[in-house]
Amino acid sequence: MGQAILVVGGGMSGVSAALEAAEAGYDVVLVEKNPYLGGRVAQLHQYFPKLCPPYCGLEINFKRIKSNPRIQVITMAEVTAIEGEPGAYKATVSQAPRYVNEKCTACGLCSEAVEATVPNPFNYGLDEIKAAYLPHEMAYPFRYVIDGSIVEGDQGAKAKEACPYDAVDLEDQGSETVIEAAAVVWAAGWSPYGPAKIEYYNFAANPNLISNVQMERLAAKGGPTEGKIQRPGDGAEPKNVAFIQCAGSRDVNHLPFCSTVCCLASLKQATYVREQLPGAEVTIYFIDIRAMDRNEDFYSQVKADEKINFVKSKIGLIESDGEGNLILEGEDTTSGERFKAEHDLVVLATGMQPNTDLTKIPADMVYDEYGFVQAAEGIFGAGTVRRPSEVHVSVQDGTGAALKAIQLVAGR
Amino acid sequence: MATKAYDKSFREEVYDKVDAGEEIKLCMQCGVCGITCPLRDEMTYGPRQIWSLIRAGKRDEVMNCSDIMLCTSCYTCKVRCPRGVKVIDVMHGLAHYALQEGIVPRENTSKFGKFFWNSIYKTGRIDETEVPMRYSMRRGPIHGIFETLEMMDIGRALLSHKRMHFKLGPGIPPSKKIKGIKGLKKMLDKAEAMSPGKEA
Repeated sequence: MGQAILVVGGGMSGVSAALEAAEAGYDVVLVEKNPYLGGRVAQLHQYFPKLCPPYCGLEINFKRIKSNPRIQVITMAEVTAIEGEPGAYKATVSQAPRYVNEKCTACGLCSEAVEATVPNPFNYGLDEIKAAYLPHEMAYPFRYVIDGSIVEGDQGAKAKEACPYDAVDLEDQGSETVIEAAAVVWAAGWSPYGPAKIEYYNFAANPNLISNVQMERLAAKGGPTEGKIQRPGDGAEPKNVAFIQCAGSRDVNHLPFCSTVCCLASLKQATYVREQLPGAEVTIYFIDIRAMDRNEDFYSQVKADEKINFVKSKIGLIESDGEGNLILEGEDTTSGERFKAEHDLVVLATGMQPNTDLTKIPADMVYDEYGFVQAAEGIFGAGTVRRPSEVHVSVQDGTGAALKAIQLVAGR
Repeated sequence: MATKAYDKSFREEVYDKVDAGEEIKLCMQCGVCGITCPLRDEMTYGPRQIWSLIRAGKRDEVMNCSDIMLCTSCYTCKVRCPRGVKVIDVMHGLAHYALQEGIVPRENTSKFGKFFWNSIYKTGRIDETEVPMRYSMRRGPIHGIFETLEMMDIGRALLSHKRMHFKLGPGIPPSKKIKGIKGLKKMLDKAEAMSPGKEA
């Protein structure tokens, strides 16, 4: 294993890097923090600009992983230490207990037996999930997880009792292993910027004010509403939806950079609303719409819809009308008019914070002022830890990182 | 239709002569300053549009606009500006520059400023009765009496909480001076001599 490539992060960049390296004949260890692969992409309803389901491509990738003996996948694990030098690293991988072993057939009996629920991270907290759960219906590996909170006590015992395959292991302590690798690809991805940090938007106080990642889950079949776009506050169908661009992006007080995807994400989500609720109006409040190259065609298509309005204004204040609707205040910078606009569902287009800004790589690395990884020898950043990017760019970047890693391994 | 190029001269003048004037180069015209301003209903343009007018070379519109003297330095716009523009510094810079050029963008603010300054210059402190009294008399004693009567309730409340002391009129009795007022005056004179437009 001394010549292996360690890939950290099982999202689009990491999966791409792992597959490209493995299919070129190199051993790969793929470490993922979640209990499943696919990362943020697995949580999307549709891709822009083609509006096709991301799971289509993810499934093909999972099949490639499954059929390739060179890839070892470790889920629910993090790399906590990296020692050594380019060509000879020793990485410590700490795996959290899953409490469910490989005998699991995903029959779901444990989940039926358990009553306790936990907030569902896959749906960004929009609903709760049983404490014995399959992370989502297309999860890879297709295996249940038992939440640590019920392991001690009757709920855990019920889950164990219900399992006919002896797959529930309440004694699971997790593990810590040291992996030898010649090169590391760090593809730890991004986190949605916390909308509550923008205090004048009053995010926490208003249930009908959601973030763009939550909107993806609202529109997705596997989401909390089975794909129905509803107001989280009262389940009502929205009639007048607003999207607020640059919510915390291009802002020196928050994320000073442009995440490059939020404009397209909102344009795409506007089509979700229009398709599902033909009577609904949509307004997109923006500073600039940044739809480059082929995406500009998509922007033109969306703009042609008469029920989708564009207002050039950064919203400066959001307040509740006391009855669940939201009042947005801004200055239309084309007319100079200040306005107040009422909407019944408001989506904040929050940006991408690189996870390397939140948790640093446990090695001597260089970052830019925003926490993005800079080029280094032996440990290669890939995807959104390197720069904000859309999915196909992450695939390219993962492939590029794989090539760099291969060069290091092959050159020895 | 023939297009007309922007007149760059005023923009250059602001960058060059107005305190913090170059800050507006950072502005990306999002409009947050105008909407966060507590005096937004009183403002004709608001900061964003003023920056825009400067860039477009509209000297008269900017220099005569009361907005640049309305800013109360609450700092909300500066705190929220996504580009970190020092909005307040520019607003005060513009107001100061207008005065220097002999333009008074807002008569009342300008007069209040003078009474405020005089109080400090003469006594070394702000006399909370003297300054508003002189301000209310700015258009003559008759107007002053009417304006004072309008404010009577507030005045009574301030008196009863000892936030204000009783005076018969401006300078009756005279305000107390601080110790070392001569030294303070020297400092203020020197500062004024060093201020833009006054040096050399």
